[in-house]
Amino acid sequence: MPKKYCLALFFSVTAGIPVAEADQNDSLAANNAVSVVTDQKMFEFGGYGTLGATHSSVSSADYVLDAPMPSGAGRSGYWSPSDNSKIAAHLNATFTPSVTAIFQVISEYNSNGNYRPEIEWFNVKYAVSPDFFVRVGRFALPTFLDSDNHDVGYSYTWTHPPIDLYQQMPITSVDGVNLSYRFALGEAVNSIKAIFGQNTSETAMGVITSKNMRGIFDNIEYGQTTVHIGYQQRSSSTRSDLAGIAGEWIPTSDISAGVNYDPGNWFFKSEWLQDRSAYKTGAMYVSAGYRVKKFTPYLTHSQSSAASPYLSTASAQEFANRSQRTNSAGVRWDFMKNFDFKMQYDRITLGDNSNGYLVNVQNSAALFGTTFHVISAVVDFVF
Amino acid sequence: MRSLFRKGFKFALLLAMLTAVQVAHAEVVVIVSARSSVASLTDEQTAKIFLGKVTTFPNGQPAYPIDQPQGNAIRDEFYSKVTHKDSSQVAAYWAKIIFTGEGRPPKLIIGDKAVVKIIADNPSAIGYVDRSALNRTVRVVLEP
Repeated sequence: MPKKYCLALFFSVTAGIPVAEADQNDSLAANNAVSVVTDQKMFEFGGYGTLGATHSSVSSADYVLDAPMPSGAGRSGYWSPSDNSKIAAHLNATFTPSVTAIFQVISEYNSNGNYRPEIEWFNVKYAVSPDFFVRVGRFALPTFLDSDNHDVGYSYTWTHPPIDLYQQMPITSVDGVNLSYRFALGEAVNSIKAIFGQNTSETAMGVITSKNMRGIFDNIEYGQTTVHIGYQQRSSSTRSDLAGIAGEWIPTSDISAGVNYDPGNWFFKSEWLQDRSAYKTGAMYVSAGYRVKKFTPYLTHSQSSAASPYLSTASAQEFANRSQRTNSAGVRWDFMKNFDFKMQYDRITLGDNSNGYLVNVQNSAALFGTTFHVISAVVDFVF
Repeated sequence: MRSLFRKGFKFALLLAMLTAVQVAHAEVVVIVSARSSVASLTDEQTAKIFLGKVTTFPNGQPAYPIDQPQGNAIRDEFYSKVTHKDSSQVAAYWAKIIFTGEGRPPKLIIGDKAVVKIIADNPSAIGYVDRSALNRTVRVVLEP
């Protein structure tokens, strides 16, 4: 409730601030001409979605793409539509040139096993200048290059960002404040984001509550190269006792780094994360693709490492240990305006004492160290 | 035989002219108002403005990019030459920006004539049109 009042207050305060005219032309005609260029519609509506099907060769466990999914391909079905399918509606509101808001609702397979729509983003942004803004509400936690847009399949080449890395960070949003400042650094554009807030995430393993979230993220774009570096801290607690650490506030910190090189007809992308909580884990991927007209074939290798040090109980170790290695090959086909079709093959090898990111595992130890195969096909669209 | 040769020559000439017309048609130029203080831009500077990475010209003046609609040949040529992205790569780029509230794509104006008119009246505006649409009210700042 207090947050709601905060937002209302923010609206009323910022909406009252007069905005300086962009240009000091004195003639009425010139002012009209300027407004043609600068005016934006107050409300803009759009959205995106994905229809997909996934098959996994393991029939004694479910392969899932996101932590909150309670079931997926494999044990629950030979083909699963739930791994990739989603649809989102997005509203962009421009109250004044400096006060904007976004509201996004997404329907995707969630921890309750249904597609009930949930609020993905809801925030108000006040641009102090075109390069400096403050955002209040629910926004993306920018851990990775594609954190903000991990649900927008149309925005990247793969069927899904490499799960070995992206699943390593189950928290994707923050309820709080975000400061962002962008400046030129010679020919490069540098953006720094600072975030403060909290989060409650439902995962298949239970609810994770995080407080005192704070982080700093830097994004440097130079020519065709983007470099992303982040550091964040939080106190997290889970009601699940699988980890043997339920109820306690565990101090957690993450360092992430990524690079993307995209000169147009090919790309190279690599990211890395190290997570320290009760234990230490890490994950990374390297990916490259080549564009041939409307087709973009690509290869990806990703891996997540075992938790260290070895945890005291077997269940805690299993909870923490997600180690697996994945080799993927796929292709994106931009077959028509605002649509793409993608197919991807993943060969996944689980680490020792690890079930990777599989859920509903029938007989825990039985799969340790095994290799299985996943095939997925999706159609992404934006509107 | 000689008339056949002449016919062939005429045909070749016609073909060459048609090709020339097509080449001329596919020549995109980046323009600002003749009243603007911006003299020239590089590919990189223009790409940053149109991809929303900067909001000013290199001289610090505000820059308002004017886009043409998706599916337009001059738009495709502009983006492939200046940003090295085809139409779907540009659409994928904006999908990332729009749906995270990080920004919005440039204002859309339909047709070279309308773009030239608006840019002529706005020292802050920048756009791209076919060379054939140029007149004295606008200045070419980049021939990509």
